Amino acid sequence: MNCAEFQRVLPETIEGGGTAEHQAHLISCPQCSGLVSDLNAISKTARLLRASEEPSPTVWNSIEISLKREGLIRQPLRARSVANRSAGGWSLAWLVPVAAGLLIGFGVIVYQRGPAQQSHVAEKVLPATPSRQVINRAGSNNNNDDQQVLEAIGSRSPVVRAEYAANLQNVNNYIRDAEESAQADPNDEEAQQSLMDAYEQRAMLYDMALDRSMP
Amino acid sequence: MTDARKPQGDRLTEAEAIERAKQGDAEAFEILYNLHKRRVYSLCLRMTANTAEAEDLTQEAFLQLFRKIGTFRGESAFSTWLHRMAVNVVLMRLRKKGLALVPLEETIETEEESPKKEPGAQDATLEGSVDRLQLQRAIENLPPGYRTVFVLHDVEGYEHNEIAGMVGCSIGNSKSQLHKARMKLRELLKTSRAEKAIKP
Repeated sequence: MNCAEFQRVLPETIEGGGTAEHQAHLISCPQCSGLVSDLNAISKTARLLRASEEPSPTVWNSIEISLKREGLIRQPLRARSVANRSAGGWSLAWLVPVAAGLLIGFGVIVYQRGPAQQSHVAEKVLPATPSRQVINRAGSNNNNDDQQVLEAIGSRSPVVRAEYAANLQNVNNYIRDAEESAQADPNDEEAQQSLMDAYEQRAMLYDMALDRSMP
Repeated sequence: MTDARKPQGDRLTEAEAIERAKQGDAEAFEILYNLHKRRVYSLCLRMTANTAEAEDLTQEAFLQLFRKIGTFRGESAFSTWLHRMAVNVVLMRLRKKGLALVPLEETIETEEESPKKEPGAQDATLEGSVDRLQLQRAIENLPPGYRTVFVLHDVEGYEHNEIAGMVGCSIGNSKSQLHKARMKLRELLKTSRAEKAIKP
């Protein structure tokens, strides 16, 4: 058997060990035995790549948000003991319901404004400035809330703080885009829905951040 | 990996986490994610050679898993179920992108793909050792069809009959693609080693 003949049957030889004739050629031919040795080394090293990479923490954050949004996550079974909560935790505890309530309430107002404007649209065109001012004020309040949440979480883990900062930034951008779309066309139900979704995402992020900031 | 393993110290076992996840327990979802994230993400990354896409696919695979976890009855290992789901998610994405996973017919070796060998020249070998990082980079440079079969067989450990079923080709074609992938990788690794030797 020569090298060309051997290499034609090489896949079967590697898979099944090959015949005595193949083995004899391998022993006598350093080139073919070098090739087989390389291919085996490639296969062996490939197995080490199986679980070698770590996804970034944002992957789990996104999954968690989706699970909550889809209602797949319910209240955790382990009850959080009120007595175990630190003073630092309590100082923030008011923030979540208040912020979430404000955000959702604001969303509802914007949402309800759509149809109202629709009914008055023939009578007069509402100036855009006041609602923009309201949004700007809300945006400023949100920035303060964001900072408080990030400071609380940062005291436990700077890495997680960075993740939340990035996620909050994304959600805030999403809210801004949705607000602009909703303002541009108050009758656009899709834009109103997007705005509501954006507020919910933000409330969830606050909720998760509070969970993590607790001891 | 068995269902009885303790994932994190004295926390839930995988089997307990699965049962709790079925009830919607947030902590159980996170435990299952942490147990399997590396394997799923590595699979997605090897198959796509793109970090952002791999993260997106990892997210999609876990979401599919968590949506269907109520139907898991434990007939097969949880990890087998999850990894099969992840492979399907990746293959679906590759198909959507129009990438041929493997040609239906035997591939005709192009000049570029076939190992270059000058008549009478001594064929340099890797001397039986392969650097993991170099192999990682070489896999990224494989044509998608070769890459799919190589990752599924040599990295993930699937058999040719399973791969044939997953990607929709014959067992013979899967074997042939795998051999060509290994040969191509050997060439890429030799080139990379030669380049490294030239550089001071």
